[in-house]
This record gives sequence, C-alpha cells and structure tokens, in this order.
Amino acid sequence: MNGPRSHLMNDERPSARADLFAGLAFLAVSIAIVIGSLMMDRLERLQATIYTAPGLVPGILGLMLALMAVLLITRSVRAGALSQSLPAFDPKEYLRLAVSLVLCLGFAIGLVSHGLPFWLGSAIFVALFLIIFQFEERRQQGTVLRGIAFAVVYGLIAGLAIHHLFQDVFLVRLP
Amino acid sequence: MLDGLAGFASALAGFLKPLPIFIALVSSLVGFVVGALPGLTATMAIALMTTLTLSMPSELALLVLVCTYVGAIYGGSRSAILLNIPGTPASAASCLDGYALAQQGRAGHAMGIATSGSVLGTWIGMFFLALFTPVLGEMALKFQAYEFFWLAVFGVVISGNLTGNDPLKGWMAGFVGLFVATIGQDGLFAHDRFTFGIFDLSGGISLVPALVGAFGFAEVLTVMQEPVRKGIINAFDSVIPRVRDVTQYWRTVIRSGLIGTGIGIVPGVGEDVAAWSSYAAAKRASKEREKFGKGSVEGLMAAETGDNACVPGAMIPVLALAVPGSAPAAVLMAAMLIHGINPGPLIMVENPTFVYQVVAMMFLASVGILIYGLTLTRPLISILQFPKLLIMPVVFVLCVVGSYALAQRMFDVYVMLAFGVIGFFLRKQNFPMAPLVLGIVLGDLLEKNLRRGLVLHDGDLTPFFTRPISFVMFLLVAATVLSNVPFIYNGVARAWRGLTGGLKRSA
Repeated sequence: MNGPRSHLMNDERPSARADLFAGLAFLAVSIAIVIGSLMMDRLERLQATIYTAPGLVPGILGLMLALMAVLLITRSVRAGALSQSLPAFDPKEYLRLAVSLVLCLGFAIGLVSHGLPFWLGSAIFVALFLIIFQFEERRQQGTVLRGIAFAVVYGLIAGLAIHHLFQDVFLVRLP
Repeated sequence: MLDGLAGFASALAGFLKPLPIFIALVSSLVGFVVGALPGLTATMAIALMTTLTLSMPSELALLVLVCTYVGAIYGGSRSAILLNIPGTPASAASCLDGYALAQQGRAGHAMGIATSGSVLGTWIGMFFLALFTPVLGEMALKFQAYEFFWLAVFGVVISGNLTGNDPLKGWMAGFVGLFVATIGQDGLFAHDRFTFGIFDLSGGISLVPALVGAFGFAEVLTVMQEPVRKGIINAFDSVIPRVRDVTQYWRTVIRSGLIGTGIGIVPGVGEDVAAWSSYAAAKRASKEREKFGKGSVEGLMAAETGDNACVPGAMIPVLALAVPGSAPAAVLMAAMLIHGINPGPLIMVENPTFVYQVVAMMFLASVGILIYGLTLTRPLISILQFPKLLIMPVVFVLCVVGSYALAQRMFDVYVMLAFGVIGFFLRKQNFPMAPLVLGIVLGDLLEKNLRRGLVLHDGDLTPFFTRPISFVMFLLVAATVLSNVPFIYNGVARAWRGLTGGLKRSA
C-alpha cells in the first residue's frame, strides 16, 4: 500500500505459499463463475439481448476475479512460493478454533429453531462454551465444579436476559 | 448557509425531548462500551443494534444507530490508551501516542485529549455534512447510468486500494462483494442466478446477516483462536480535557478534521484510514516531530480528531449518493432502507429535513461522548477487565438473533454463519472486509447501470468514457490501479523528482 499506514503499521502478511493457495482457490471459483455465467439461460425468447442477458455482469466479474487471481498467483510464485516448504501442521494450534467453530455451528444449526426455547438453547450454548474453554484453567486450580456452576448460572442469566430484552422490551421475534 | 443552520436548529429542537435525549444517551453509552471492548467493532455494534430498533419509529431508530456509531468510534480510544489494544480498528493510530502517554502516568491526560479531539472532529464533520450533502445531492441529480456505474467501480477500487495493506487483495475482496450482490434473481427478468435450486437464495444475500457474519462471527473466531490474555492498565491522572491542548494544536485539529471528513466522503474508506492519514499529516507538519510515537499530544489529537470527523464524512455519500463512506455507514444505510428512508440524490427533494436531522443526531452523540468521556473512566476500566471469554459466546448468540430477526427466517442465520467462516479465513489471508461489504452494497448499482448504459446505446461503450464526469471517474479509477503497478509508479516518481529538481535548479 502507498498510504501512510504502510509506514506506520506492522501488518502481518501471509507467506507467499499461502498467497499461492489463496490465488488458486480464487482462480477455481472465478472459473466456475465464468462457466456458470456462460451456461446461464440467455432468455432470447424474452427478447433479451447480449447486454441484458442475466449472466453478463457475473461473467464480467468472474473474468476480472480470474485475472486478479492469476496476478496473485504470479506474484506469489515470483516471491518464491514454489521453493518454500509447507509449514508443519500442528493440530493443537487449531484446537481452540475448531472447538469454537463446532460449538457455534452446533448451536446455530442444531439447537436453534428445533423446538427448544431460545433462552434455554442460548443458556446451554453459553454454559458449554465456558465450561470447555475454562476447563484446563479450572482443573489446574482444582475448581472444576465451581467453574461448572458458574458457567450454568452465567448461561442462564445471559439466555434469559437476551430473551427478555429482545422479545419483551424490543418486541423482536426470536428463533 | 443560514438555511442549513435553521434546518439544524429545527431538527435539534425536535430531538430535545426526554425520550430522544434518553435514547441518545443510552445508545452513545452502548456504542462507547462496545467500541472500548477489543474485538467488538462499530460495524458489529450497529448491525446488532439494527435488530433492536426494528419496532421503533424511523427517527428514533436512526438516532440509536448514529449515536452507537459515534460512541463506538470514540470508545475505541479507551482501550488503545489503557491497554495498547485498539477497541476498534479506527483507534489503531491512537495506540502509538495514547499508550505512550499512559506509560508516563498521563493516561487521564490522554483520555482528555481523545475526548476533545473526538468531539471537535465530530463537529467539524457535522459542519461539512450539512454543507456538502445538499450540494453533492444536487450534483448527483445530473448523474446518469454511466456516472453511477463508474461511481460503483470507483468505490470498490478506492476502498480496495486504501483499506488493508495489499491493494490486489482489497480489489479481489471488492469484486467478490460485487459478485455476491448478483446472486439471486436479476433485476430485469427475475431470472435465478447461482441459486442452485435454493428457494431462499432467489431473494439474494441480505446485507445485515452478511455483515453480522463478516464482522461478528468472524471476530468471535479470531478472538477465540488465541488464548485470551488479560491487559494491564496503567495508573491515570485527571481526564478533564485541557483547553491549552486545543488552542496549542488548533491547526492540527482543523487539518485532521478536514482530512477525516474528506476520507469519510471517499466510498468504503473508513475511520482507520482517516486516523492514520491525519496522524501522518500531523507528523509531517509538526514542529515536534520527534515526540510522535513517544507520547505526543499532537499525534493523539490528530488521530482522534481524524477518526471521529470521518463518521459524519462517511454519511455524506450515504445521504447524497446512497454509497456508504465506510463499513459502519453501510449498515446504517441498510438500516435506513429497512426503516423506509431512501437515501440518494432525491433525498434533498423528497425529505430535505432528514439531512439536518442526521446532523442533529451527530450533535447529540457528541454531547453523549463528552459526558461519558468525563465521567465514566473508572466503571469503564472494570468493563475492560471483564474476561473476553465471557463476552464472546454472548456476542455469538446476539449474532444469531441479529441475523434472524430482520426477516424471521433461519436462512439468514445460515448466511451469517457462511460469511463468518469465509470472512474469518479471508481475513487470515489478509483480504480486507470493507471492500467486500462495499461490493455487496454497490453490486446492484453497478449491474443496473452497466446494463442500462449498454442498452441505451446498443452496446456502444463510448458514453462511459466521453461524458465529462464519467471520464473523470474513469481517470481516477485508472490512476488508482496504475499507481500500484511498480514500473509506472517508479517512472512517475522519477519524472516528478526530475521536474521538481529542474525547477529548483532554475530557481
């Protein structure tokens, strides 16, 4: 970037290898967009011209994205992406992320809108979140049961408070 | 000018009743606290608050959202000064001198500077919001399909160029946003595009769930990825702003206010760029350059004035062109549409008092941050020490509620989840989110006007380049893109050095 931030901030940039993979992923998606746009119904029976065909704009955007993906790939290759070795994969590094993802997706897809009252689903999610992420610290301190009790009470307070605030005070319908 | 003043006074008088004042104070406080908490951004705060305002009258709903916006941008400075962690990206520049001052035992002084800078910045921005919006709106009435097309392209290109630190990735994010906007039925024939037989996708991707995902859920994942650490808070002195700081650095205040407002007007370039640009300009012009980064009052004043001046600045293109000046302004624009207010060139014709109402809302918000800036230091420190682990699951529950409540369908919750996961991985790969958001907002404008322009001249592209305003916009887009091509950038720099060197020699 040519702006002032580049001189003042120490932004972390991903490696050339990561850029190469990102570029390849973008290239694949943009080619799919272009193919999808080309194969889209041109609606000639409705007197649509090439300029009004539904696939025109997505097709152009797909082409532009493909061009930029090629530029990103070229840039990463010139920066030595092909000579860099793959970083060692340490599953521990991603454990917190994976657990957060599973909990959040589990709550939003599995608990919400399946008959369980929203406040109860929220309370279960919040409590489980705290129990899991505080477990190691609580175990070292020998306060696991206290931690569970705190998480349950906190979850119930959070669930009921959100339910009351949105549904009763601001008249917002909850899932 | 006098008309504007009268419009502002009348709008302000309309809000000077117990309920609007109460609402303004509460929403500024919510914004202030959310902005101060690292990991919770202004965009997310406004997106979630939009849900709460659904059943409110439109004026009060927008008062809530504007006050939340101003409060959040100001609140970010608190954690920047006290913890060296920007509460919102807008406060990143304030860490440099704010935290340095705090380490010298002058955290209170730093908070006072942030308060005075933010309030003055908001006022400068408000002045230009009232002054420029009608002018820009009138100009925009002359825009045709070609100009609107280039405006959308310009927004995405300039936002991609200035947000983040990699223009290529910024543009890619912007074009992904433009593509996302094309998903669903097309505007002319209602033909399903990229819906894969999913009925709910026919209506397209709604902006608010996408934003809640990209800024809320993605942030929860980002925070939770690393073990949560507790910040150390330094001792602080009096938080009362000192008049001397303002009088001594009045040039910096005005310059930063102008830069902040100007950057706010540029589509999709938000408060963080405004703060960094104001900071850099203040450093260049300062007589105390050596103090910058080591606890400079002037540096902190510049950053805080710049980011808060950007807030009203970002509202100028929202109101005049229906093009958001920043990511939080994009949510505000979506909220306006939800509440039946149509921003754009016709707003000064259809609803001329609305612009002054927004100015009055900004004024009330600035009073709110002044009050909280002076009074809420100790309670805020307790809030800042509240473990993030307790906040994040609640934020996620709010993300679910926020995305569901607008249309009461689970599909929007799934959109939020998808954008959260995709947004998280894009951010890890250094793709900025602001151009993506702007792309989603501007996609419809770009498509409609490109197709309209092509149909009007049977595919002839000439008017896109020959009409005066279109030509200027095309030049701006081309110059922005070409300035990132190394051999062109270096060639221009060499030519400029040669020219200025020659002039100096001849002088």
